[in-house]
Amino acid sequence: METTVAATETTRTICGYCGVGCSLDLVTRDNRIIAVQPAFDGPANAGALCVKGQFAYDYVHHPDRLAHPLVRGEDGELRRASWEEALARATQGFIDVLEKHGRRAVYGVASGRTPSEANYMMQKFIRVGFGTNYIDNCSRA
Amino acid sequence: MSNPLADMEKPDVIFCIGTNMTEAHPVAATRLKKALARGAKMIVADPRRIRLAEMADLYLPIRVGSDTALLLGMAHVIVREGLIDREFIATRTEGYDALVHHLQEKTPAWAESITGVPADKIEEAAILYGASDKGAIFYTLGITEHICGVENVQSLCNLALLTGNFGREGTGVNPMRGQNNIQGAGDSGALPNNYAGFQAVNEPENQAKFEKAYGRRIDLENGITKVTALEQCGDTVFAMLINGENTVVSDPDMEHCIHALKSLDHLVVIDIFLTETAELADVVLPATSWAETDGHFTNTERRIQRVRKAVDPPGEARPDWWIISQLGQRMGMDGFDYDSPVPIFNELCELSPIYNGIDWELADNGEYQWPIPYRGHPGTPRLHEDEFVNGRGKFSFTDYRDPAETVDEEYPVWLTTGRRLESYHTRTQTGRSEGINELLPEETLEVHPADTARFGLRDGGWAKVSSRRGAVEVRVEATRRSPEGTVFASFSFSDVPINVLTGSGYDPITHTAELKVCPVRVEPIAERVPAAAD
Repeated sequence: METTVAATETTRTICGYCGVGCSLDLVTRDNRIIAVQPAFDGPANAGALCVKGQFAYDYVHHPDRLAHPLVRGEDGELRRASWEEALARATQGFIDVLEKHGRRAVYGVASGRTPSEANYMMQKFIRVGFGTNYIDNCSRA
Repeated sequence: MSNPLADMEKPDVIFCIGTNMTEAHPVAATRLKKALARGAKMIVADPRRIRLAEMADLYLPIRVGSDTALLLGMAHVIVREGLIDREFIATRTEGYDALVHHLQEKTPAWAESITGVPADKIEEAAILYGASDKGAIFYTLGITEHICGVENVQSLCNLALLTGNFGREGTGVNPMRGQNNIQGAGDSGALPNNYAGFQAVNEPENQAKFEKAYGRRIDLENGITKVTALEQCGDTVFAMLINGENTVVSDPDMEHCIHALKSLDHLVVIDIFLTETAELADVVLPATSWAETDGHFTNTERRIQRVRKAVDPPGEARPDWWIISQLGQRMGMDGFDYDSPVPIFNELCELSPIYNGIDWELADNGEYQWPIPYRGHPGTPRLHEDEFVNGRGKFSFTDYRDPAETVDEEYPVWLTTGRRLESYHTRTQTGRSEGINELLPEETLEVHPADTARFGLRDGGWAKVSSRRGAVEVRVEATRRSPEGTVFASFSFSDVPINVLTGSGYDPITHTAELKVCPVRVEPIAERVPAAAD
């Protein structure tokens, strides 16, 4: 009897939990993470990982993951929307507040969990869009 | 951190204060264990008898919020005993004579009266650290999440400046950063006072530089902090864009926070789950998780490392950079038509002096620690080797002050909050990872066995914990990790929302919340009333 198992792939990346920045290899098959392996040549961890970095990855494939944009409907509940509708709604809300309350009425909160590219974009959005420095990240609490 | 992680294996004397490193930064703690195995000595100051305290040669059980008094007492002894580095003080510092005068009254006996640590233990700690050739200080939020967080850090710097413990292998003053990219968030300019690369927004030449780069003149005045913005929601702030932060659960004074976000005209949240914060939004935009995106994280030792996409995101989730680019384009902003994260990172590098020496390709193997001021520069694993950024290291004339709230008849117990090994922050991720969720299924309040008897509590039973802002119900765990008169819980579980209780005050300079100190009352309850939190 023959069985075929899809080949595994390995991707070198950095742990997404604390600030130590351990290098690890994500082992994937059929577009799912099936294991995490510590990187012995990782400059921060030299082969070590903690219980979170080693095992707490299945949230990535959890059914609770947001897979579609949501907008609040007339009934006050969040409902599924297309990207087109959600982006239009998000944008219009900022424009309305800008027109009604001025450019210091819009604030951005960036994340210590997202890549630097996301943080850079958040500050650029606030600074270019509104000409203010009304941007912070979550490091104060 | 002033020094690289590899240096953690090199000190003769390690001084850990306000850091629960074996739980919050476990892999970094393995390096300290290696140093101890080699023969290094370790001093640990912490209100709780954490695992690190059990490993220490000298444990200083300080009262919550009394760090500055301990550190002043240690500085007093170092000066009195002549354990100072005279050459370092003469060539690299300023304000020494004034500091000596300032420290005259800060005796170990005075420090004992505030910290509760016996004066002879304070003497012993000061002499151990002061007499070492290579002394290294490590701290985390136990130092900064106080109304006096700045004074705490300055008091630590005083010790290192007095003893010449900067700029050498196995020394330094080393904050352990808590989140995978909290360093990178600051590096990238997501701060109200700095552009990317920590360039002050109130410097006219920086304003001109970014006006040229961005095609828009940006205010010369600092923006407001998130703390202030939350206070002004519905008053002057009417719209927010929140990316990847569960503000409602992680921030102090939950009721205030929910009220603030609800009073906005417009809230847009970008996240990977429908968090308690996203549930309040008008628009929720689904983002890629860490395993589904390309970019960079900067770690606690300032090392810029590449994050790589390994799997596709669910459904229509998109990378954060793409979502924000779309928002910018649709609002008619120039310079938002990015088709990948590569030009975004390269733009960040071009505009940031500390990243000028690298780009996407050069950062690929994670060998660079900033500052990397020009192409060909090898990066800077160790800061302050020849001189400090501003020339000389300045001594600070800090003093002890009480926490924002202190225990009294109505709220007679200190609550301190923190992390646990098996959960991360508000558990949006670890709470959805099966194996780890079994290791730590619920929150407990850690209470000293003598206190459980005193408050009429039962190990494994339930308690109601109240502060001036609210109350939560939580299961009791009798443990000697907590000292008498102080209880502990983490803020990770949304069904035990500990941050309903906190929020007594903020550091006036950094606006960091005093999450480590909150007077509470603890009472037994027969059985838990079903949670109304969700």
